[in-house]
Amino acid sequence: MSRTETTQSTEKPTKKKVGLLQRLLRSLYQPGKMDMTFFGLVMLLLVVGLICLFSSSYAYALQNYGSSYHFIGKQIKFAVAGVVIMLIVSRVNYHFYRKFAWFIYIVSVIMLAVVLMLPPLQEGFDYKRWLVIGSFNFQPSEVAKFAIVLLFSHLICDNMKHMKRFRFGIMAFGLLLALVCALVVVETHLSATLLIFAIGASLMVVGGIKLRYVFGGLGAGVALGAGAILTGVVDYGSSRIQSWLDPWSDPTGAGWQTIQSLLAIGSGGVFGAGLGGSKQKYLWVPEPHNDFIFAIVCEELGFVGALAIIVLFGLLIWRGFTLATRAKDKFGALMTFGLTIQVGIQAALNIMVVTNTIPNTGISLPFFSYGGTALIMLMAQMGIILAISRDNNMSK
Amino acid sequence: MADGSNKSMIIRMFAIICVIVLLFFGAASVNLVKIMIIDGEEYKTKAAAQQLSDTTLSAKRGDIFDRNNEVLATSATAWTVYITPQDIKTEEERKTIASGLSEILELDYETVLKQTQKKTYYEKIKSRIEKTTADKVRAFISEHKLGSIVGLDETTKRYYPNNSLASTVLGFVGTDNQGLSGLESYYDENLSGTDGRVRAAKNARGADMPFSYEKIVEAQTGNSLVLTIDKYIQYVAEKYLEKAVEENNVTNRGCVIAMDPNTGGILAMATKPDFDPNTPFSITDEKTLAALEELKDTEEYNDAFNKAQKEQWRNKAISDTYEPGSVFKVVTGSAALEEGVVFLTNSFSCPGYIVIAGTRYHCHKHAGHGTQSLGGAFANSCNPAFIQIGQTLGVKSFFKYFQSYGLTEKTGIDLPGETAPIAGVTYHDGSTMTNIDLASESFGQGFNVTPIQLITAISAAVNGGYLVQPHVVSKIVDVDNNTVKNYETKQKRQVISTETSELICQLLESVVSQGSGKNAYVPGYSVGGKTGTSQKLSSEDETARIASFCGFAPTDNPQIVVLVVLDEPHAPVIYGGTIAAPVAGSILSDVLPYMGVEPAYNEEEMSSLSVSTPDVTGKSLEQAKKAITDAGLTVRVVGNGDTVERQVPSVGQPISKQGTVVLYTGADQAVMVEVPDFAGLTVSQANSLAAEYKLNIKFSGYSLSASNVVAYSQSISVGESVEIGSVITVSFRSSDSSD
Repeated sequence: MSRTETTQSTEKPTKKKVGLLQRLLRSLYQPGKMDMTFFGLVMLLLVVGLICLFSSSYAYALQNYGSSYHFIGKQIKFAVAGVVIMLIVSRVNYHFYRKFAWFIYIVSVIMLAVVLMLPPLQEGFDYKRWLVIGSFNFQPSEVAKFAIVLLFSHLICDNMKHMKRFRFGIMAFGLLLALVCALVVVETHLSATLLIFAIGASLMVVGGIKLRYVFGGLGAGVALGAGAILTGVVDYGSSRIQSWLDPWSDPTGAGWQTIQSLLAIGSGGVFGAGLGGSKQKYLWVPEPHNDFIFAIVCEELGFVGALAIIVLFGLLIWRGFTLATRAKDKFGALMTFGLTIQVGIQAALNIMVVTNTIPNTGISLPFFSYGGTALIMLMAQMGIILAISRDNNMSK
Repeated sequence: MADGSNKSMIIRMFAIICVIVLLFFGAASVNLVKIMIIDGEEYKTKAAAQQLSDTTLSAKRGDIFDRNNEVLATSATAWTVYITPQDIKTEEERKTIASGLSEILELDYETVLKQTQKKTYYEKIKSRIEKTTADKVRAFISEHKLGSIVGLDETTKRYYPNNSLASTVLGFVGTDNQGLSGLESYYDENLSGTDGRVRAAKNARGADMPFSYEKIVEAQTGNSLVLTIDKYIQYVAEKYLEKAVEENNVTNRGCVIAMDPNTGGILAMATKPDFDPNTPFSITDEKTLAALEELKDTEEYNDAFNKAQKEQWRNKAISDTYEPGSVFKVVTGSAALEEGVVFLTNSFSCPGYIVIAGTRYHCHKHAGHGTQSLGGAFANSCNPAFIQIGQTLGVKSFFKYFQSYGLTEKTGIDLPGETAPIAGVTYHDGSTMTNIDLASESFGQGFNVTPIQLITAISAAVNGGYLVQPHVVSKIVDVDNNTVKNYETKQKRQVISTETSELICQLLESVVSQGSGKNAYVPGYSVGGKTGTSQKLSSEDETARIASFCGFAPTDNPQIVVLVVLDEPHAPVIYGGTIAAPVAGSILSDVLPYMGVEPAYNEEEMSSLSVSTPDVTGKSLEQAKKAITDAGLTVRVVGNGDTVERQVPSVGQPISKQGTVVLYTGADQAVMVEVPDFAGLTVSQANSLAAEYKLNIKFSGYSLSASNVVAYSQSISVGESVEIGSVITVSFRSSDSSD
């Protein structure tokens, strides 16, 4: 008896441990079928993006790095890693992240502050956007975007009732958002500021703030923006404004990138020069693998191809919206929505910059532009949406 | 589902999604329609314009060779270095580029640094750099991996390997290799070739893209010129001209033309001071530079600098006009002989002046030359005699020959900038010429000619009577050395008969052997010539003169005519016979043996010939002494050894026959002596002074038979310390020319 007792007692803690781990894993595990439409759209955009990246970057890569495969080689590795990560994340119960909402927010604020204190990565450039950890370099603003989506979803979900209150819905959220935006704008990263603000504000709107604040805020935003430009507060942007309104005023300097981009897009015509047929990528368009990749895509695939890609993004957003409406809880809905519009707004801003619809702010095109860390983060976020979609399907 | 999105959330999400999709994507799509479909063609054209390089393949410019195919001008590949400042990524890179390029290209660091800071995509750092420098830049690029920022463009650059040699004839090219002066300009079309074209796609760095729609029209290398000019003769002419211009402080430049009188081929044509066609825009003459330096920072500086540039480019031999003075007497004399109004047997009296129509003309010899033959009149360069000859000839006949000798027309030499004579301005037309005009024109004053006109006329007078067209280019050849065009001798007309021409040759030979042209005498050769010292009536300075001499050799079959013009010399003696004739003499003495004209020495000349010192080093003293004595030289021994350790002068040095060879038989110190002043000494005085100082003399430029020959320059300056036995070249000239 006693023997068996002792054996039992000695075995008990082990059993308990296993049980804990299992329970933890079980609580972390997200069962259910993921949304194959969304997954398909992500994979399609990723593959099309990689093809376009290879085509647009090979001349630049050959000239600057001696190998046409310099960018695509690295990006394919990141893409494969990204897909694996996306699939893993899609199996993680998204409620798990709620526990870290504040933590991630605070970490990203700290990183944004640290970046400001570090010397600029490139001398002669005023940008302080990058943080280097080991061989990784990434923009803390990328993390901040996610932090805002997560924290806002978390807070709104728990406090839906209070959103109508000015102090909570506007003041509290406004402060949280303003802190991040202020830090990013000091980085002189205008596009990221805009993007973060748009995501945060959208979540606040969806969360249920009063409509008069929404329209009041829109009006105030337009007035502030105009004021900042007119009074010259946004100093570094002024030459951008100039080259936006009239790129030909400084064709070899500030206007070069915009002009070359327009020439590339315009050369595309209706059907384009065919994949690989761009001439503007031969060092005419600066950094054709990055922010201006869409210009090369337009030149090669024509209006038809460009529109197809825009439609793909539109479909992704629409599917994201659908998934948000199907989410089992408000947190899932808000997360899905926030992450979806993040991709949507970023893609829209990028395409508007490339087409000179808005001034050049320096923003990349999701799934297309070169950048490993950014791609992996994007894929992970897509994984969260897929995880939420699994949850949706569970309940069916 | 109770926790899921409520209606309000869905509506609001829907609204935001709509804003993004419709407003943002919509605006972008509308813009895409505008850019790609509405304005598509316009952008496409603009893009094609920048991508399609219609590159001109600049044709390689043809070379210029002398008559022996020695290169006088050639083209080589050169490179332009540029950077793309926009692609500079770090401050460190910027500094590396600025310091690297400024060092390799010898530029100011700050200037280059400023260029790297520009926000442009193309900054030219330096153009027309040579291969060695370009290689250094390439090494620098690959060392620092700057391939995307620093680049090199290929162009061609003109080289003149002999620097200033024949610069005023060759001319120079501009930055686009276009001929701007001289032959480079005159034959620009032949030299420049035909540019090719490449229509190809290019990237933003100007490099070609891997596309197949390249269309190439090959560039055709320009044709090359083969000149009549001989590099050696040109070199010799420039050497002596430069020396004379310097020694006699010639302030309005001097020029020399050497010409083959039978073909009109120019053998040498020089103006001093001139310029270096490799750097044509910098002023070469040091005096001019010093004068400019003083004007620095004043308003006149730019004008003065431009004037100095234009002046140094000007080919005096064809562009400047002057009153030829007594050299012109050849024309007057030959015309009178040809017309049969004067004979060799005629005698002319000179009381020191002559009065024509109430005007009194003085002879340069105020005491007069007395009664003299025609040959005497030439040798004495007697003005009254030639005035008489001119008057006998009459205005009409005089002008007929003036015209016939080509003095009223351009010679038509194939060089740009030949000054055209103008009736009534540069010369008196036959219809308006008076006897008073004729009187001064008979001895070469009162009208203007270019040096090339005069040498062409003199050539006609000595070559059998034929006026030929002077030319510099003998043929044009293509890149494979096939003759494209030959320039044959162009005879314009016969001016005087062959007999008259022969007479003139004889008369002019006596000018050099006995008369005012003694200083042009070359031992062993028959040299003819005529001196000239003309007043510059156009000049405000009344003492301004032009000293000139026109000589030719050999007199029985002239192969070369040399004209030396020194414009405004400022020396104690400024007669053509004193300062211009030695230049011609020196040139001829160097050039005649080179041209293969066999010398024929008389006995006197033989004695003054130089002897080569025999090699006796290492021989026994006895053997050495014998060898030297056998060579007709004197021996001096230093030390008391038995073998010759060292000899001065060393082996093979030409020294005078009365020279001394010093033999060192031990390890004795070299015995030094200070060089004495030979100036003003006669040949024998110089010989004894040299013997006294145990030095050897090499005689230069004199005729032993001439009177009043004195030394005027020496190769080692006075007071310099040299070893005994050293050879000093002493130049002599006759001081009794007064024209």
